[in-house]
Amino acid sequence: MTNLFVRKATGLVRSWSVFDAFVYAFFSINLITLGLYSFSQMYYFEGGMINALVISAIFIFFEVVVYAGLIAVMPRSGGDYVWQSRILGGAVGFILAVTGWWFILWLWVPLYGDMFRHIVLVPLLGILGAKDVALWFAGTENGSFVASLITLAIVSVFIALGMKTYARIQKFSFYGGMLGLLIVIVLFLTGSNAAFKSGLDANATALFGAQPGVYDATVQLGTDAGAITPFSGGALLAIFLVMPYMVFFNLWPNWGATLYGEVRGATDFKRNVTGMGWALGATTLLGILLLYSIGRTIGWDFYVQAGAAWWNYVWGYTDVAPALPVWPYPALFAAFLTSNKLIQFVVVALMSLWWFGWCGTVFLSSTRVIFAAAFDRLLPEKVAEVDGRTGTPINALLLMVVPSIIVAFMFSYNIASFQSLTLCSTLVIAVTYLGTTISAIILPYVKPDLYKASPIAKYNILGIPLITVAGVIFGGFLVFLLYQWILDPNALYGIGIKNTSSVIYMLSMYVLAAIIYFGFKSYRKRSGIDMDKVQAEIPAE
Amino acid sequence: MTKIFFATDIHGSDICWNKFLNAGKFYGVDVLILGGDMTGKAVVPFIHQGGNNYKVTLLEQEFSITNEDELTDMKKRVRSRGYYPYLTTPDEIAELEKDRERVHRIFVQEVLKVVQQWMDLADKKLDGTDMKVYCSPGNDDMDEVDEIVRSSRRVLLVEGLVTPLDSHHEMIASGWSNRTPWDTHREEDEDQLKVRYEAMISKLKDPRNAVFNIHVPPYKSGLDEAPELDKDLRPVLAGQALKPVGSTALREVIEKYQPLLSLHGHIHEGRGATRIGRTLCINPGSMYEQGALLGAIVALGKNKIENYVLTTG
Repeated sequence: MTNLFVRKATGLVRSWSVFDAFVYAFFSINLITLGLYSFSQMYYFEGGMINALVISAIFIFFEVVVYAGLIAVMPRSGGDYVWQSRILGGAVGFILAVTGWWFILWLWVPLYGDMFRHIVLVPLLGILGAKDVALWFAGTENGSFVASLITLAIVSVFIALGMKTYARIQKFSFYGGMLGLLIVIVLFLTGSNAAFKSGLDANATALFGAQPGVYDATVQLGTDAGAITPFSGGALLAIFLVMPYMVFFNLWPNWGATLYGEVRGATDFKRNVTGMGWALGATTLLGILLLYSIGRTIGWDFYVQAGAAWWNYVWGYTDVAPALPVWPYPALFAAFLTSNKLIQFVVVALMSLWWFGWCGTVFLSSTRVIFAAAFDRLLPEKVAEVDGRTGTPINALLLMVVPSIIVAFMFSYNIASFQSLTLCSTLVIAVTYLGTTISAIILPYVKPDLYKASPIAKYNILGIPLITVAGVIFGGFLVFLLYQWILDPNALYGIGIKNTSSVIYMLSMYVLAAIIYFGFKSYRKRSGIDMDKVQAEIPAE
Repeated sequence: MTKIFFATDIHGSDICWNKFLNAGKFYGVDVLILGGDMTGKAVVPFIHQGGNNYKVTLLEQEFSITNEDELTDMKKRVRSRGYYPYLTTPDEIAELEKDRERVHRIFVQEVLKVVQQWMDLADKKLDGTDMKVYCSPGNDDMDEVDEIVRSSRRVLLVEGLVTPLDSHHEMIASGWSNRTPWDTHREEDEDQLKVRYEAMISKLKDPRNAVFNIHVPPYKSGLDEAPELDKDLRPVLAGQALKPVGSTALREVIEKYQPLLSLHGHIHEGRGATRIGRTLCINPGSMYEQGALLGAIVALGKNKIENYVLTTG
């Protein structure tokens, strides 16, 4: 029976495809870039990798519920910035949004650049026979910095092309990347450890000039570096201590959540949960399968030891260079199982699509936040200008690119121990998520009319709104992560109060955000605009 | 200096209309301007189940109403989203499913009833004040709305007119848009729109010092970016693919005449401000479903914009 009559009116569209939402979220928690990069760094934990992968995914599912719930109550509103501004106030909303969606992305640029050289440049150049260039990129500070500059150039081109074109690039990259991953997994599942050992020794020597006996030397270096992380198992506390590192990879299924459009009913809420939830679930399962297949052929211990040998040297804990002079990239290892150069190239090229389909995310969200702040007059009007001919937001892009070059320079040349700040990239965004999560927890109580008129009003657990319950669980998880990162009682993460550089870097971002907010607020007030009133709710009676 | 407050696309939301009427005092402005699309998009049947019992489905959630208080509360909840509650019976619903013309008549009846209530409220609230209120219905608003607005003492219908805002600034206004996939009430081809705009502009004393209050945004202004739809009106690529859907005719006249200010709506997610030459173009966007009144405050100086800000009320 009819329960709603709609008339012809602008904007009455049908629901978007769950699959499209899935692809975006799937690429945001990118198994090959973020996943393999962080797994290789997690060599010194006592908790099982698989256990941490699964348990963290369970907690992050509640993040999916929180964000899907907020989208349902306040759709198309601009995400964290607007949610927090409306519930927690303008200052909190601005400071947490610009630090989490703009400033901290400067640090992500050298990280994207680092992944670019290890996943795309070095293996492809090696297979193509450009050994010296490959090694220059893999092992020098200049190579690291240039990789970041190339990353910036590629991302800027994607911004200039616009979201519509990039969304299509992403979809192509999804299919190509999945094909590459399928080949990698098949190569691992059909290969043998003996074939891998001989393939590694032969190819590492031929492609990258490694000394013979790479396998055994890597085992030794990795063991000396303290490589112990088990594939699975471990005490519960030990597993929980793996998670502050694991979330560098999988905390982001909500990354494109604010784009998913108008939610007009419970069905659309479920579609959001389904799109992001399936992405989280599928990535977790794929992660288990990939790590299992790596362990089966490469050997789990060798995989962890290779990561340890690489990072122990990069982080400066030893002067002994790794026997394998390139980052231990599992897709490259899979390619070593065949001696056919064309197949090697195709496998690594397809796998590089995981990076190309993902890298645009570093600036796309940032430009949106910069625009929103400019429209709210908390930044100069100029920053929201768009070039008339190309449609490129030139000034917003400069606000991303210029500081990123400085941060990338400091990262590549490890000035002020910047290479130890990797997890700050996750911490600052987690603080922003915590602000949003607190907004979600209190939303039904501070905005009861808004909540009651939303499609999620009927979802309760023991009489408590689902969004509140999910928020408390995910918020608790975030508090645990922040406690571990900031106080770091077991000295596992290298940031927080024990790392002066990280404290200064993060605090200066919050201070800068506060200066911009209160500075512009004061400036606007002098010119007749009361920002408190601009963001305050008008009485409706 | 004249301070104006502009809001648009409130789509039947009682909360937003109340806030709009209160915005003048709240923000300390001289003029209130409501862009187009005042009317809501959906009628929600309250299906009588006998006695005080009704069954209502809102946002795909089914509610059982069992008493007068719940009925009042649910009507308020429906109205807060800009929808129209309609008390009916299972037999009437069955008939309506077969009779689209009758559904249309109910729509018109409910829409006009609310517009009349809004005008009555405006007359009551603004009597005794100096506040000027201008309104030009948009492409989603049926023609019958004009007559009711015209009957208001305090809300002036400005569609197709040149309206003096103060001694220096005049405003032209139109709610007509270029073609949409929904074949709405006030849409036409670009060449017809151009004729419409030129007719108004020709009556302006000083186009460069004028305000163009035009519901549709100019093409490729960034204020007109809407999700790209497939042939079934489904957003493609999870809504990430946006495309410009504004009016080329409007862009042409803005580029040609370079008014001081242009005010737009139509694309709810197109909130922003931009410049086309010297013209400041603003689309404050819309979040009417959430009862938030998005707007813009603009201070008009002689031959220049003194200041502006987008608001979230």
